[in-house]
Amino acid sequence: MANSFSVTASEQDGIAVLTLEGFLDAHTAPQFEEAIQKEINAGRKQIVIHCEKLTYISSAGLGVFMSFIEEIRDAGGDIKISGVIPKVLQVFEILGFQSLFDIVGNVPEAVARFQQG
Amino acid sequence: MATGFDVSRLEALLESAKLLQSSLELDVILKHLLRTAMGRLLARRGLIAVEKRDGVLRVELVRGANALAAGSVYSEEAARESGLERFFPIGAEDSPVGVLAVGGLAVEFKPEEGEFLQALLGVAASVISNAQAHDAARAANHLLDQRIQELRALLDLGRGLAATLDPDEVAQLVGLTLAGRWALSKYAIAAYKDGQPTVVRQKGIDLGDVAPWRERLQEMAEPRLATHVDKDLLEALRIPDGSLLIPLRTQEATLGLMVCGPRMRGMVYRDADLEFGAGLAAQAAVALENAWHFRDTLARQQLEKELELAATIQRDLFPKSLPPLEGLDIAARNRQAKQVGGDYYDVLPFSGTAPTDPHLLCVADISGKGISAALLMSIIQATLRSLLRRETSLLEISGIANELLYATTPSNKFATAFLCAIDPPTGACRFVNCGHNAAVLLRADNSVEMLDGPGLALGQFPMKLFKEVTFQFNPGDILAIYSDGVSEAQNLAEDEFGTDRLTECLRAKAAEPSAAIVQNVFDAIDAFAGDAPQFDDITLMIVKRGPC
Repeated sequence: MANSFSVTASEQDGIAVLTLEGFLDAHTAPQFEEAIQKEINAGRKQIVIHCEKLTYISSAGLGVFMSFIEEIRDAGGDIKISGVIPKVLQVFEILGFQSLFDIVGNVPEAVARFQQG
Repeated sequence: MATGFDVSRLEALLESAKLLQSSLELDVILKHLLRTAMGRLLARRGLIAVEKRDGVLRVELVRGANALAAGSVYSEEAARESGLERFFPIGAEDSPVGVLAVGGLAVEFKPEEGEFLQALLGVAASVISNAQAHDAARAANHLLDQRIQELRALLDLGRGLAATLDPDEVAQLVGLTLAGRWALSKYAIAAYKDGQPTVVRQKGIDLGDVAPWRERLQEMAEPRLATHVDKDLLEALRIPDGSLLIPLRTQEATLGLMVCGPRMRGMVYRDADLEFGAGLAAQAAVALENAWHFRDTLARQQLEKELELAATIQRDLFPKSLPPLEGLDIAARNRQAKQVGGDYYDVLPFSGTAPTDPHLLCVADISGKGISAALLMSIIQATLRSLLRRETSLLEISGIANELLYATTPSNKFATAFLCAIDPPTGACRFVNCGHNAAVLLRADNSVEMLDGPGLALGQFPMKLFKEVTFQFNPGDILAIYSDGVSEAQNLAEDEFGTDRLTECLRAKAAEPSAAIVQNVFDAIDAFAGDAPQFDDITLMIVKRGPC
């Protein structure tokens, strides 16, 4: 097994927080997709994806964000992204994600954005 | 030139130059220049055109002359028509990097302001060149970043695909990579292959059934923008406007379609995107082929394993050897048409197993093939074995077996059977024919009796319509019990072997042991059939009674 990846679900002030760690590539993207689907199935539509420990993201990884964003926004929710390290942020920027997603510094900030509505 | 400037102009020039030097943003530089020029000359109209990389002067910035669009090709004539009056080259007059023009001056034009402007534009020329070079480098870098990201995406996808052999997972990975690469919230992938369920993965698109469009998709060799695809196909497949269609192709065939929905914020698909899409599709197609192939192989292996199991069950059901019965010479053989057949023969004891005890001779033909036939065969054998212990009436035995099979199997699963009880010491026989071929009884005097009789196949109907018939089996008589694979064996002309030929075979070897007779019949069938394939199982049991 080359690179490990994990996604941990938690909650902060009623908002779902998925903490990513490690390598998010084509191989591990389905795992992340499953995790988001689980939150949606549980009726959550405000989700923070915390990326402080995410060391790599591939197009397939970003594809997971895109796969849900419309569905969630149509339902009045959103996905906010927090704590992205510069190397990963660069990929977000190259592919134009910074203009599609709310990307903030940390989880409390993301939660606050949700609470401001 | 600057010697003619007064202090205030010199200071202004210096300040402007400093400001210009501090910026690499073309837009900021040009705005500052135009602002300065219009301010100093009190002009209501202004324009800057700059020579682009293609060597063409294009309007970059316009004020107060809205007929001239930014980005359009610059012409002095058009500029004059829009009310621009004075034109200043930016940089050296013989090779300027652009033009600054003003018009609608509120006060009379002062030559010293013109000189000041010329000086400023001299400074600006190099700054503009630098900014343009910087822009070009940045654009190139951005393009490079994009290409690197594309390569990474393909590489990453390749690694991911190598780890899966599930067609649905392939579609999932490809979908995610597309969605990520182009920031798509709408996309769909459909892939098809005969004998495989269609693979569909979609988000935000409700793709129509692709099956009727396979021929049309086959014609699509390369990625195509929806604007270049026929309307009927787009409508039938419910493909959104602004989509990109990418065929999933191997070298030989198109095996599916990827639909990339419209990009966000009005971005369009460029030629480089089409290339990337084609590369990704090629990877996906190979991965799908592999996954399907693997699934096929797996299914075939499973089927083979199942057949192997059925064949084993069946082999175990046939008697390893026939019990030696006093005064009787019994031989039997079964040759299957396929790996698992539906014929069965046996010699089973009633209550006692001594060579002098009565036994049941049995040949049966079970409907169907494979594992279901093997199971039915085992049911019949078990039923016979248990019934024979307590029951001697063949009517009862066939009646109960019929009931049992009728109750436990669908009516298209049944068995024809010829059951014959024989008492070895005396040769007293009773038989029941359950919808089976008539057995041939060749008497010592060469006459032939056909042992048929009313009787339905076991397990087909609930009624008991059987008849038990008795006969005496004498020394020198030959009894042939067989399945329809013997009498209905065909040659290439589709003639059947028939019971006459069978009887001839019996007669020809009447003096020989049963085993030799069996061999003779099989040889005769093979000679008759020639190159015609064997369609049905062939089973034959020969019984002889030696002189007492």
